Amino acid sequence: MIQVNGCLFLLLILSALGCSLLGPVPLDFVHAFENIFSPDPSAEILFRTRLPRVLLGVAIGGGMAACGVVLQALLRNPLACPQMLGVSGGASLGGILGLIFLPHWLLPIAGGLLGEISWVPLAAFLGALLSMVLIYRFSLFHGRLHPYHLLLSGVIFNSFIAAVIMFLNSIVDFYQAQGLLFWLMGSLSTRAYLTVGFIWAYIVFGFLWLWTKGVSLNLITLGEEAAMQLGVETGALQRQIFVASSLMIGAMVSVSGMIGFVGLMIPHVMRLIVGSDHRLLLPASFLAGGIFLCWADTLARILLAPAELPVGIITAFFGGPFFLFLLYREGTKKLAL
Amino acid sequence: MNRRTRTFIVYFFASLLFVLLDLEVVAGEALPQPAQAAVPRKVVSLAPSVTETLFALGFGDRLVGVTTYCDYPVEAQRLPKIGGFMNPSLEVIVAKKPDVVIGVNTATDPAKAKEMERLGLRVTLISVASLNDILTGIKSIARLMGSPQTGEKLVVKIDANIQAIKKRVAAAPRRRVLLAVGIRPLVVVGGRNFIDELITLAGGENIAGNATQPWLNLPEEYVVAKAPQVIIEAGMGSERQQSGKRWADLKSVPAVTDGRVYSYPSDKILRPGPRVGDALTELAGLIHPECFTNPSNDRGNGESRCESPKP
Amino acid sequence: MNPAIRTDSLTFTYKDNPVLDGVSLSIEKGEMVGILGPNGSGKTTLLKIFSAVLMGQGEVKLNGRNIETYGKRELSRLFAVVPQENQIHFPYTVAEIVLMGRASYHSPLALEGKRDLEVARASMELTDSLSFSDRYLHELSGGEKQRVIIARALAQEPEILLLDEPSAFLDLKHQVQVFELMRRLNREHSLTIVAALHDLNLAALFFPRLVMLRDGRVYRDGSPKEVLTEETIEEVYGIRVRVEPDPSGERPQLFICPSP
Repeated sequence: MIQVNGCLFLLLILSALGCSLLGPVPLDFVHAFENIFSPDPSAEILFRTRLPRVLLGVAIGGGMAACGVVLQALLRNPLACPQMLGVSGGASLGGILGLIFLPHWLLPIAGGLLGEISWVPLAAFLGALLSMVLIYRFSLFHGRLHPYHLLLSGVIFNSFIAAVIMFLNSIVDFYQAQGLLFWLMGSLSTRAYLTVGFIWAYIVFGFLWLWTKGVSLNLITLGEEAAMQLGVETGALQRQIFVASSLMIGAMVSVSGMIGFVGLMIPHVMRLIVGSDHRLLLPASFLAGGIFLCWADTLARILLAPAELPVGIITAFFGGPFFLFLLYREGTKKLAL
Repeated sequence: MNRRTRTFIVYFFASLLFVLLDLEVVAGEALPQPAQAAVPRKVVSLAPSVTETLFALGFGDRLVGVTTYCDYPVEAQRLPKIGGFMNPSLEVIVAKKPDVVIGVNTATDPAKAKEMERLGLRVTLISVASLNDILTGIKSIARLMGSPQTGEKLVVKIDANIQAIKKRVAAAPRRRVLLAVGIRPLVVVGGRNFIDELITLAGGENIAGNATQPWLNLPEEYVVAKAPQVIIEAGMGSERQQSGKRWADLKSVPAVTDGRVYSYPSDKILRPGPRVGDALTELAGLIHPECFTNPSNDRGNGESRCESPKP
Repeated sequence: MNPAIRTDSLTFTYKDNPVLDGVSLSIEKGEMVGILGPNGSGKTTLLKIFSAVLMGQGEVKLNGRNIETYGKRELSRLFAVVPQENQIHFPYTVAEIVLMGRASYHSPLALEGKRDLEVARASMELTDSLSFSDRYLHELSGGEKQRVIIARALAQEPEILLLDEPSAFLDLKHQVQVFELMRRLNREHSLTIVAALHDLNLAALFFPRLVMLRDGRVYRDGSPKEVLTEETIEEVYGIRVRVEPDPSGERPQLFICPSP
């Protein structure tokens, strides 16, 4: 366990370093480090435009992967992913509405001392919270969150949100339409360290908490009754996991839009490598997700320079075939699907 | 033959019949096109720039339908609406029985245009990809409306405006410009875009001008790397203070340190229509303000060899 | 002396169907009881209520305490369940499955300790499943899977073992093996065993006490000789049988008399 996670952690650090040094603009990094505090272009490129993105990528990639692992266990469905919960749809809708109606409002933090953040991600997060509450209510039957109902509510909710977003798409102007694309396909562009800090705190906290539930997650994949009989308070666990992952997903989508595929693919890839024990699978997926998204974002910046591709396109484009390749190599023996 | 084969054959021929009928409907007789009217009396516009052009040419009274985005001149706002920019309503257009429908080839869905033709309407799409195209387009519309000389006159006027500005800023050093139309994410004007040409004419150098896309998502490292001297934000309703704040932490960018981040309502410049000359004037004023200020504000380094602005 | 399990007028309805209609039972520690009855008589439901998966109306007491006062973790150390069906969608090895039985013995943040590993190993030995401890569960046959689940149940070190038709997917040899194992666990480790059974002959051979359910009520409760009579079988199952004592003379065996 230590070895695998240690390796992954090292890979993560290297990836983060590599990705901050790579980009469409050539960078003299020695120069950048020397001038870290002065308004020097190299330093600003590295520390003000690239590093926040890389840090965000690590956090969000890890968060999405961790939520994917946990949701697959909760819903007992190997095809579950963060998008399925419906919370990300709600966040996107909130963000889009914010973009349309109050794009330039700013909210001062700590009386303006810590800077200001745009209302748009806040609107997105509110959207996420609202959808979380709604889906929770729809799925609660006899005090229990049945996976079947959760899945169904999530899918229905997502369809509804998609319809609303398409409607908005037809009435917005050209420039707002670009903004819509951001929400639907994701982007890690951000410069505020404050935002990055918030997200890090959120995700790391959430991830650590979920990690402590590792054993219960193992048990709950055996079936609800079996889990109960093995000592798990399934009702409480389901509620807690739902809320925790919804909050994490809401926060992530508010900042970066919907980045798909990471939450679906990384858990499976890591399962093929480290097995299904969630005590190992969770941290491994978290680290692997960070590495993956980091590189995906770098590619998004480089491939069509100077233009930037939405990172969701990269994750789907490279993630899919890689996963198929892995599946083919391992055969079906380890997947029990 | 057994039951299964029989069922299969029945279904097969039924589907074939259905497909044939369908094709018949689709490829069916197009309604006859109206004879080319000498002068169109009723026109539908599918784009704000076309609406403006028609009004500028003096044919505003012939418009029977415009998009919901057509807001200039003021009279256009009172005209009946036929839908949005990207999704006009075919029924409403057909109901107006226009003699011609004029649109812009970048916005109008070609399938919709074909459908309109099939329904018996005469559809013209003009290109607005470059400044040249815009001027040619104005002339085409004028010819279409039966008054080519009006078009020529308008184009000459616009061109004169353009040349005057070009001359005005000729002596000034070229400034690197970033023109953003979206902030989150950062969407900027790229190459192959008439706005890019305007920036060049206004004495600027579009930092994203080497891109092949007319609009692109730009990673922020470019903003630092290319060090624009002027940043223009053309989003809607942005306020001066906020635009400054957005870039405040990039202190190595000249536009930021010199305080030359301007917000600019998107309306005028983003329409490839008859107001391109005005748009150019405003852009030049933002990029090279020293060429437009009071002549007594002389820097003494040869920059402001600029006359006072002509009406 | 508190009975291990005790119910009083237990009722349970499922969508207006009275599955259990006033069941009163008392099972002492160390007993080995077989629950019989045709499909729909409420056997599985009864076991689910005993294991706190379902809740019915009426009191259920475990070791003298109301079942509702127990936390799930505590309950899982008290009894273990071997369900009839096992749908596991994720790839776990046999060893991992059995170790999951130890979940309530170590803190959620810790890995399994030495003792956990020892208990797991012993359980697998008892169920003759140690030889495939490294294989994935979904690769095994129905019978092998069943033995693994029993091993997991044993790893919980329960006082009470609840089994729902444990011989359902096993071949004859393994059926007998499972029952012999249960008898051994009952005699040598004083495990209280409550099993829902459908094979009346095997039930008669191995279980000292049988409870026959009919229409959600206890119809007969006693030794195999008392419960398995020709009249009872005809009454409850609707078929005619001939009852003969086995060679030892102690246990009745049934011979089915099909219509000619």
